[in-house]
Amino acid sequence: MTDESTIDVHGVEHAYTHGGVVEPVLHGIDLTVRRGEFLVIMGPSGCGKSTLLNILGLMMTPTRAEQVRIAGCETLGLADADRTRLRRESIGFVFQRFNLLPTISAWRNVALPLRIRQQSLDGRVEAVLEQVGLGRYAHKKPGHLSVGQQQRVAIARALVGRPAILLVDEPTGNLDSANAQAILALLADFHRQWNQTILMITHNENLAVAADRVLHMRDGRLLV
Amino acid sequence: MLRLAWANLTHHKVRTLLSALAVGLGIALLLISKGLAGGSIAEVARRVQSVDAELVVLPAQENLIFTNGAPFRAVHERHLARQADADGPLADAVIPVFFGQVKMGGQQQRLFGVSPEQMNAFLGSRRVLTGRLFDRANAFAELVRAGATPPMEIDDAGYAAYLADGLELVIDERLQRVGNYQLGDEIRIMGQVFRIVGVVETGVAGRVFAPLETLREIVVAGETNASMYFIKLRDGLEPVTAADELQAALGPAARVELKSDYGRLLHESFASVNLYMTASSGVALVACFLFILLTMYTAVIERTREIGILKSLGVTRLGLVRLSVLETLLISITGVAAGIALSFAARWGLSILLPLLTVDLTASLLLLAVLIGVVGGVLSALYPGYRAARLEPAVALSYE
Repeated sequence: MTDESTIDVHGVEHAYTHGGVVEPVLHGIDLTVRRGEFLVIMGPSGCGKSTLLNILGLMMTPTRAEQVRIAGCETLGLADADRTRLRRESIGFVFQRFNLLPTISAWRNVALPLRIRQQSLDGRVEAVLEQVGLGRYAHKKPGHLSVGQQQRVAIARALVGRPAILLVDEPTGNLDSANAQAILALLADFHRQWNQTILMITHNENLAVAADRVLHMRDGRLLV
Repeated sequence: MLRLAWANLTHHKVRTLLSALAVGLGIALLLISKGLAGGSIAEVARRVQSVDAELVVLPAQENLIFTNGAPFRAVHERHLARQADADGPLADAVIPVFFGQVKMGGQQQRLFGVSPEQMNAFLGSRRVLTGRLFDRANAFAELVRAGATPPMEIDDAGYAAYLADGLELVIDERLQRVGNYQLGDEIRIMGQVFRIVGVVETGVAGRVFAPLETLREIVVAGETNASMYFIKLRDGLEPVTAADELQAALGPAARVELKSDYGRLLHESFASVNLYMTASSGVALVACFLFILLTMYTAVIERTREIGILKSLGVTRLGLVRLSVLETLLISITGVAAGIALSFAARWGLSILLPLLTVDLTASLLLLAVLIGVVGGVLSALYPGYRAARLEPAVALSYE
């Protein structure tokens, strides 16, 4: 598996330890995501979806794994700096709670990934904000935007650097149904337009309609 | 990163301002105490340079600032006096000074007891603005020269009459202005009433002069010793060589120094006080930077989630430390600017309240303040930055 727009993991296990008590959450996960695929993983709360997403996004290290290949790079044993670089260059995140920086404007939030990569902005921030329908709100701070608008800013931020992989964690969990549909349509647009690889986790079955493939997860295992 | 740091700071305006103010107060305290010590010493040193002499002779163990009275040994006095004889090898003039203390202009002043005949060595090109110098032919000097003995009984009126015209003071213009003194004003010194007879231009070695013989009579019952000597060398003598020669003759009990080194001697004499002041300011500054450290640490805890966001976007550990340092530097630099402004304001206030004090806010002192601000800022940012850097992104993002 060498295509850099893929995810290829085998034997991923993870357990949390709380006060000396070990609580396993993932049991031998094997998962491959093709380049340009829109994959949805569905499952109830607490089944390990977010933990899996964090491991795929290099935000945490699994307790045990045979292989965690992300964007063509084996990440097991990588130094923190290399994992950070890979995350910066190849992965975009959309979180349920938006996770925008509250002290800076929507425009600056979206520009942040480009600045961190020391890339030229070159009108890309304005373009992606227009695409999510927030061109007029670019100067506003997140606190002055509606929750639907905040999630659009988060999507714009995740996609402005055109990452190989977009990881989406319950993107509509905090939104009403109208906003949820709009966000889903937006993600589907980007997927279609840019052939963007998207891995989305959710417990909302309505979101699965846009997916190329849907997997179910229960008790730390992917159901085949 | 700079914009992000700035945005973080302006988002918490009160906290940022309080932190900057804490640094500012610490810096101002340091600048004022160092500026005051350095300024006073430099000002005295500058004034002493105006004396028409090349060498200074001091008792070896004496502190230049706290010396009063006449600590020289008689044998040294006699050896020095011989240097200025017609066939003396070294000096055109040996100028004894007898130090006393007097409270004038709202603060303690060093009283320079000098011989009326040698007053010109102190005056140089400076003018007498009002009144006159000491009367060279005053009755008391004549009496002393004639070998008169003072009254044996305790009789204040009789003793004052004996001292007669020797109870005179010459002051400089700055002291005259500050104390609003007039010719003829009476000043009580060591139980005797002195009268101001003249005002000279500012810049002479002392602010208050009294006749040498008078002080010797009052303090050491007319003994002919002194607190220190200025030596005016004969033409053509090289000061360093002459100083070595004189030092060899006087032995270890006396110290012969170049007049140009007087500033350094003052610094040495003031070293313990200076150390105390620096230490006090240093403790205050450390407290200020601990305050910043606490502020930044609190900010890191508060913004754990934001740190997680930055990590998820790919900001490196070093980048997070850099952000923390940048924020702290912005606080420190603002604080240093406020501290410098505060110091200049305090100097202006002191010049009105205590006009005889000199606060020297030199370029090197201001540079030191900037340096302390920068180094202190960086140091106090390192731990919070390190703590932010080692957070696992997923853990940081789940922080409530």
